This record gives sequence, C-alpha cells and structure tokens, in this order.
Amino acid sequence: MNIVVFIKQVPDVPNIRIDEQRMTIIREGVESIINPLDCVALQAALELREREGGRITVLSMGPPQSEEALREALAAGADKAILLTDSAFAGADTLATSHVLARAVSKLRPFPDLLLCGMQTIDSDTGHVGPQIAEELDLPQVCGVNEIHVDGDLLVLKRLSEGFLDTIRAPLPALLTVSKELCPVSDLSLGAVEAAFTQKDIIRWAAHDLGLHPDEVGLAGSATHVRKLRQPAARTGGRIVTGSPQSIVDALIRKLESMSILDEED
Amino acid sequence: MIKYRESKISAHHNYLVNDMLTPGFVVGEPDKQGGFYFLADKVLAGESMPRISCRLLEEGSGNLLVELNWNRIQSNPKACIHQSIPGGFQILLSSGNVLLEVQTQAFANGYLTRIKARLYDEKGFLRIEPLGDSIKVHDAEKPVLDSPFSFSP
Amino acid sequence: MSKSFGDVWIFGDYRDYFQNRITLQLIAKGKDLAEMLNTGTTVVLLGEQVHQYAMEYVAHGANTVMVAEHPKLKEYEVETYTTLLSQWVKSYRPEIFIAGATSFGREFFPRLAKRLRTGLSADCVDLEVDPKSLLLVQTTPAFGGELLAEVVTPDRRPQMATVHPGVFRELPHNSEAVGRIIYPDVDVFPEPRVKVIRSRPPIKGKVSLEDASVVIAGGMGLRSKEQFELLYELAELLEGEVGATRPAILSGWADEERLLGQTGKSVKAKLVISIGTSGALQFTTGIQGAETVIAINRDPDAPVFRIVDLGLVADAAAVLPILIETLRRRL
Repeated sequence: MNIVVFIKQVPDVPNIRIDEQRMTIIREGVESIINPLDCVALQAALELREREGGRITVLSMGPPQSEEALREALAAGADKAILLTDSAFAGADTLATSHVLARAVSKLRPFPDLLLCGMQTIDSDTGHVGPQIAEELDLPQVCGVNEIHVDGDLLVLKRLSEGFLDTIRAPLPALLTVSKELCPVSDLSLGAVEAAFTQKDIIRWAAHDLGLHPDEVGLAGSATHVRKLRQPAARTGGRIVTGSPQSIVDALIRKLESMSILDEED
Repeated sequence: MIKYRESKISAHHNYLVNDMLTPGFVVGEPDKQGGFYFLADKVLAGESMPRISCRLLEEGSGNLLVELNWNRIQSNPKACIHQSIPGGFQILLSSGNVLLEVQTQAFANGYLTRIKARLYDEKGFLRIEPLGDSIKVHDAEKPVLDSPFSFSP
Repeated sequence: MSKSFGDVWIFGDYRDYFQNRITLQLIAKGKDLAEMLNTGTTVVLLGEQVHQYAMEYVAHGANTVMVAEHPKLKEYEVETYTTLLSQWVKSYRPEIFIAGATSFGREFFPRLAKRLRTGLSADCVDLEVDPKSLLLVQTTPAFGGELLAEVVTPDRRPQMATVHPGVFRELPHNSEAVGRIIYPDVDVFPEPRVKVIRSRPPIKGKVSLEDASVVIAGGMGLRSKEQFELLYELAELLEGEVGATRPAILSGWADEERLLGQTGKSVKAKLVISIGTSGALQFTTGIQGAETVIAINRDPDAPVFRIVDLGLVADAAAVLPILIETLRRRL
C-alpha cells in the first residue's frame, strides 16, 4: 500500500508571541514543529506500512525551511520526501494550497492508494486542505478518522461526528484526515536521524515542475484575502476588583443580587 | 435554471399536496351551488386540527355523497359515516369503503396533515387522486391559500 | 418571478436538531446580512422526511426554504450533497452561503467550496457585511485563537464560511410566519463511494451546557482535581452546570462533554463564572455568548479580565470555600 502523508510545518502555537503594533506573529525564537495531527497521520502510515507493506511519501508545501519537517519525517521512517517550495506559493489560502498539493500527488507514479493528513492544523485550523485535495483528485474523503482497518481494497473506518459514532466503508484510493484518537503520538521516534540527514534526499518541486502558472498558486490563486489581523476585542465596562477573599466574595454576591440570581438579604 | 416547484409554507401547519407543503388549498368552486369542491383551509396558530370543508360527489352520477364543514358532516344524503382515527378522521361510504382520510402528524412545534382520497367533480373529471402518502391535485388553477378562505356571503 | 439570485443561503444542518441549534442561529445572522444586501434568506434542506425542519426554519425567520426530499439523501453524504448543492448554487447564484462548523459542515463545505472554486473561511466567530464594499467580512480565529483574522472573498461567489456554533443568537419561534418553499427537480444520484454503515447516536449525558442559564467554568488555576470539584457544589447552589477548559480536561479533572470553547461547547447562559482560567481565545469563544461574565483569577494581567463584566483578582482556593459557605447560608 503506497501512502502519501501531507505534513505542514507550523509555529509551536502555545509559545508564540504577538507583535501588538504590527499585529503579526513574532516567529523569531519560536520553534517550528510538524503540525501535531500530521504526526498522528504519519504514525498511522508507519503502522499501516508495517501491516500492509508499501512505501510512504511525505509531501509538504512551504518555505525552504520546511525541509526540517520533512527530514524529521524521514527520520521517523518515511521513504521519500517532497518539498513543494516556490516564492509564488506564498500567501496561499486553502483553495490554492490544495491545488498545489493535489497537482503534486497527481505526478506520483504509482498513484498512491491512501492519502493521509491531520484533520486540522494548529496555526490556521481550517481543516479545509484535506477535503479540497480529495475534491481536486476526485477521491472519496472521510474526515476525523479515529480507526482504520484495511480489507483488500476497502477501508473500514470509524469516526466521531457530532457525538455520533460512525462506522464507514470507503474504497481505495481515498483521502482520510485523522483525529488525535487514531493513535497516541508523543514524539515520533527519530531512530534514523542521521541517515535522514545524510542518505536520503529531499525532492524539491517548484511551480514550473508541477506545470502550474503563477496565477493559479499563492496569493494570486487564492479566493480569500486576509484583510486585517486583530486581537480579540475586549468587553467594555468590566470592573476589576482586588482585595481580601472576603471582600471578593462580597463583590461577587452583590453582583449576583443585582442580576436577581440571588435574592437580596433583608 | 433547474426546474422547480414552489409553494407557500406555514410555520405552524401545512398540508402535503403534490409532494409539497402548503398552508392551504382549494379545488373546485366552494360558492357554486351543488358543485364539487375541496377546501383545505389555512389553520391558524394555536389550533391543531386541519380545516376540511368539501362537497363530495359520486363518480359517474355526480350526485352529492356528503358535505363537510370544518371536518364535520353538514349534509349526508348517502348515509356516509364519520369515523375517528388516531390523529384524524375518515369518511366512509355506506358500503364501508373509505372515501376520504385526513390525518395530522404533530411535530415538536407544528403540524402536517396528509389526505387520502380519489375525488371526481360533477362532470366526472378526476380532481384529486392519491400520490405517495398523500394526494395529487390535478388542477392547474390550484391556488395556494396563505390566509383563511372567505366564502361569498 | 422566482428570484433567488443573490440571496444569503444557509445550510440546513438538522442532525441532532434539538441539541444543535446552529441552523437557527445562522438564520438570525443571515437575516442581518440579507438586510444589508437588500436580499432574502434561504435555507437549503436536504434529506428524507424533513418537513418539520422546513417549518422550523420558517418559524425562525427564513424567507425561503429550498428542499430536496429523497430517500437517498437520508444520510449526510459529502459527495452527494456536494454534487447536488453545487448544481443549485450554479443555478441560483447565492451571494453568501454559510454553514455551521459542525463535524459535517467542516467536512462538506471545503469540498463544495473547492468545486465552486470559491473561498471559504473556517469556524467564524463573527460575520458582517462591510457597508462600503458590501463584502462579507468573515472573522475567524488564527494561531490557536491568539489573533482574529478578518477574511474577505473579493471576487468569487458565493462567499462561503462555516460558523462556530453558539456565537449568534436564534430568533424566537413565530408560528404565524409564512415563507416560500421551493422544490428544485432532483436528478438521480450516483451510488456514493463512502458509505456510513452504522451511526450510533450520542449517549446523552446529563450535562447540557448549551442550555444552562448559569455556567461555572474552571481552568488550570484551580491547581487540583479536588479544587475543581468544588465547582460542582457551587454550580448546584446556583442551579448551574460546570464547564472546563481544554487543559483542565486534559488533566483529567472533567469529562470531554464539559469542554467549553472553540473545539467544545458554546454557552448562551445568563451568567458565566470563570474560575482559574487564563482566557485563551479557544476557551473564551465558548463563553462570549453569555450575558454576563465574571472571572476569578489571581493574575491581574490574565487576558480573561479583558472580556469580563466583573473581574475578581484573587486565588480561587481562598475564595471558593468562603463563597460556597456564604451561598449555603443564604439559600
């Protein structure tokens, strides 16, 4: 079974800081990591390869430094890594991103049996790219999968959807996005780090390698534009009270009384 | 443009006709003495019963079978029988065959009435016939009632 | 005659309807947007025996409901729904098309947007029509909610967005309302490739955070499970429910069904008392629908104080026992 895993290098979100003047993320000093759910997808791919055989290709679209994420994936056991990098790809929304990733997949020979990615990323958190790759490649998709069984050329999957536990049958090839329940990943075991950095090459494809015109990728190929970034608005009129625990409780009780949640004391 | 059918819809109560919801409809001419008509009138908020008034005629002869006013028998020359069923009623011919069935389904916040009947007018034309779990109305003139029908004085 | 061009469309998501009121919330917001654009609000409704939902949508303010009734639409299926709705969109050309960011909304809308070659923003916490450009401004959390991004779709149509459940308030049920119902002709469907073989409904817990009028929310500032459990006593005294932040749940202090925020539940309570929560946006999106928010946190600079009506700077461990004791005496 040949598997493609899409990975994205993201800033380690809990540690990011914001430049409040420019309303941007301060990337300096913030570690970049593989999007955690993409690690789950990679881990699942490694387990499937164990059972079913085949090869794992990791694909990432991003700036040149995304190479680190691909090296890590190789170290964890991926067979082949492809970096889709081109200054023309910058500023892409999910429509343009999925276009580049789908085009890269369609160049792979043989065409993969299974495409995996995390159900969302921690930086933009849209969860759109997986389904949009599936749409462009005319593949069936299932999102938020937490169990994968392969039965010949059929998949039997489980996933939670609005609390409903769905059991789903899908043919191969297919694209799945995975939830964190699929398999526990603390850290990918980077057994072959050294080999990953010395022996395996990372393939780089730019727009022209994929036969893509600059107009259909990056900002130019995007349907959405970010007009502005801002910090969540503060509620106004909030009163801040400090003092002894008893005076704090008194302030709270008075508020409950004023809201008629508590009757006023005689 | 995709072909489509269209109707009004009430938030409170609808009839299912031609596989569509509609707040009310009338077939035939209620004001014409002795002629066939079938009126499923708009049900007002707060009421849970449909409002069926009709003059039903015998196939072939065109003779009056039974006349209903707001679900009740008003005139009954052929000794039809009014029988309650869960959520509605039936009108049976004296032979025991069902002439008309009206049944209302209650939802959490609304009602839907289904009708079963095969009805002919005085000229012997089929005007209402079964379709799926309700009826089909043949009239091209079928008006949608989104406020209660008013009879001529 | 029947112009539906340029309408604001809403995907009628009715699975688990009586718990999940997202479609009604979107109708209410859709009406605001439609008013700005001088157009109408249409809910598209696909399924089998969906009459009652059509009526509900009209009762809650939809001008038009477009319905496809068919046994083959009984299950939510991404590909079938995408094929059908992309045909409808091409034919009726809505200006805006929004859906709830439910599991299905988040799986199906990206595929539909891609087929329509239009833009989509995810899990929006606000939608407005810009009065000048008349573009839909889609406010969506970025970087784990640290920032909000205002996204627009300048040229392509429809402008599509999924919306976080609970951020808009539904309109009251109006039995007197009359709307328009349209049944477009439906073609035969291809056999779906992905089939749901079994769908086990959720096991309903007693917890109903969405409907509670008082919610006590706890976070890591409570420091231990024992401290967290004091919240249940407080909730009982105030006839409320207990909710929790993601870190508190990851620490095993409460079950997943109590999760508040972006990936959890959103409340529309009269009062939220947030205790020991720092105020990350992932969490505060879940409580911003409350009428009043009170927070207790020992850090005066905690971001949670930016969104409160009353902020109490104190250690929860010191305040909780006194508060519970006082309330017990009073009630």
